[in-house]
Amino acid sequence: MQCSVSSLSLSPAVKSRLTAAGFSLLSELQGLPPSQICAEAGVSQQEALQVLQAVRGSPVRIAPPLTALQLLQEEQQQRSIISFCSQLDAALGGGLPVGKTTEICGAPGVGKTQLCLQLAVDVQVPVCFGGLGGQAVFVDTEGSFLLQRVQDFAGAAVKHCSLLVEDDEQRVAMTTFNVETILSNIFLVRCHDYVELLAELHLLPDFLSEHPRVRLLVIDSMAFPFRLHFDELSQRTRLLNGLAQQFIAMASSHHIAVVITNQMTTRLRGSQSQLVPALGESWGHAPTIRLLLQWAGTQRLAVIFKSPGHPGSTVEYQINSDGFRDAVQSEQPPSKRPRTHTIQSAAGQRDSNQSAPGPRHCS
Amino acid sequence: MVVLREGMCPGLDADLLRDLRAADIKTVEDVVSSDIEELAQRCSVSYKALFAIRRVLLAQHAAFPVSGADLYEELLSSTAIISTGSPSLDKLLDSGVYTGEITELSGGPGSGKSQVCFSVAVHVSLHLKQSVIFIDTTGGLSASRLLQMLRAETSDTEEQMEALQRIHVFRLFNIFSLLDCLFTLRSGRLQQACVGGGSVKAVIVDSVSAVISPLLGGKQNEGMSLMIQVAGVLKTMAKDFNVAALVTNHVTRSESGGVKPGLGVSWSHIPRTRVLLERREGGADSSLRSATLIKSSRQPCHIKAEFDLQSWSRSKEGSSGKRKLEETDS
Repeated sequence: MQCSVSSLSLSPAVKSRLTAAGFSLLSELQGLPPSQICAEAGVSQQEALQVLQAVRGSPVRIAPPLTALQLLQEEQQQRSIISFCSQLDAALGGGLPVGKTTEICGAPGVGKTQLCLQLAVDVQVPVCFGGLGGQAVFVDTEGSFLLQRVQDFAGAAVKHCSLLVEDDEQRVAMTTFNVETILSNIFLVRCHDYVELLAELHLLPDFLSEHPRVRLLVIDSMAFPFRLHFDELSQRTRLLNGLAQQFIAMASSHHIAVVITNQMTTRLRGSQSQLVPALGESWGHAPTIRLLLQWAGTQRLAVIFKSPGHPGSTVEYQINSDGFRDAVQSEQPPSKRPRTHTIQSAAGQRDSNQSAPGPRHCS
Repeated sequence: MVVLREGMCPGLDADLLRDLRAADIKTVEDVVSSDIEELAQRCSVSYKALFAIRRVLLAQHAAFPVSGADLYEELLSSTAIISTGSPSLDKLLDSGVYTGEITELSGGPGSGKSQVCFSVAVHVSLHLKQSVIFIDTTGGLSASRLLQMLRAETSDTEEQMEALQRIHVFRLFNIFSLLDCLFTLRSGRLQQACVGGGSVKAVIVDSVSAVISPLLGGKQNEGMSLMIQVAGVLKTMAKDFNVAALVTNHVTRSESGGVKPGLGVSWSHIPRTRVLLERREGGADSSLRSATLIKSSRQPCHIKAEFDLQSWSRSKEGSSGKRKLEETDS
């Protein structure tokens, strides 16, 4: 069995003409002059050239396989984006992984956007502090991007890093790490409906090539544009599935972390109702990691619902005026940590010191 | 459907080809299915010459019958059964994943499909010392998780690294590159691709639905044709190279609220064995999963098994500290 013509990435009309003319296998097209293809299949000269290009290109389009060992080295080189919540970072193996897609689902007000804003700030922590020193693209579909909060988070992050300065390299890095540069390194895109979102996502790969420092793409939220204005559900599913593949291709080719937020919806099963992430069953497969944020009484919990690399677990967190942090009641991780983890453990410690008098919840 | 070309068989020269073309005979199929006598008159060629050409073409393009006894011999000598690393799943699958056929794992998000794939890959590379091709279409392959599974099996670092080197990963995110890759592997590069790592025993596609489902539905049926091509090339590859093809599929919810594998009825005929994986009711932290056999030619359908995702990261001595309390909630 050989590669057949219908598997080529050509327009369906050209393919059906080729098949009608009797060409069904690629090997039959190989080595033919374009004029003969034109004459036999009745396609234009230009189309014939496209056909030949597709035929010739096919064996080299595939990159040689990586071995899992190379992949492991790649994974170890790519640093994760820390969330300033040491428990969550530990559960995710050092933070939000770069090169993967992560979905954050949760009820309104539980802190989805806050976590996204926090990540947009954290991705910029200089490399010498164990961060990524990157930039962030924030696609806002709900109009929930709060500049005031970003400013607060940025201020807290800068203050925190300035307390950690030990050597000259870090001192130099601190001169450029301030609230203003943090704000200027966040690119905000406001999309009002799903057409704008689709268009923006088609343009993004070019933008990412022009801005190689971008390490984080946030879509806040995916659910809002896709839950409105859709009469035909199958079209929505198809669009979403296509987008999912686009996200993961972008994440792995540009080495960025893609973070998508999603709303919750109610599913009725008999007389019982259950809160589940929106956008349907098949969307659930789209993100590599799925994080559920939920309330348990007055506590906020983050549940790792799906992750290929980590067991499911539940951690507690809180949101205060400085951002997304460890919950106060929780036990602190041991302070002896390897160098790359200085920030998380220190963040944890500082929180416990600062908020020792009593729990501070800001809602 | 193969286009007639000059020199394809003795007697098929340029003049005859032109005459045939004038009579609207372009492909081998056309020659074989047309009435030779009538054709001989229309093209004014001898009946004998055309008849000879037809016989040669038929012989060139026909399949050969194989006796059952020979097949059985071959089956005994070449079929391997690959363990999934979980005793209960192996029992469900009649001792493991068979080579030479397609096995499908379907299930909702977080139901353990990828984990079973990882475990099969680890088993082939570590215990059987053979190569694995892992086609990742969702970005879900985590090499550190593979390492974690290997560490639970052996403490020898060199052995772990060798095993990792025998797992070959393709990361492809659309249907055309998947097809390209499968056809390239099919056309003989499967064995070449993995020099020095033993022969390939398993081809894993995680997940096949991620690249196909964006094309299905709507008014064009191109997606369907591409899906069947993926199925076809996987099937012939499994059979010809005697490898186990393991694919994963997502699930959809039927009107009655039950869960069934995605990609529709046409796809449901493709895999020989289908397993539906589900989370056990209970906390989101639970690592217990249930597996139901929904299609099999060896075992009765609808038998169930339970397995624990944690068991793959726990070393045999039980020294891992990752055990969860939630395991008791069943």
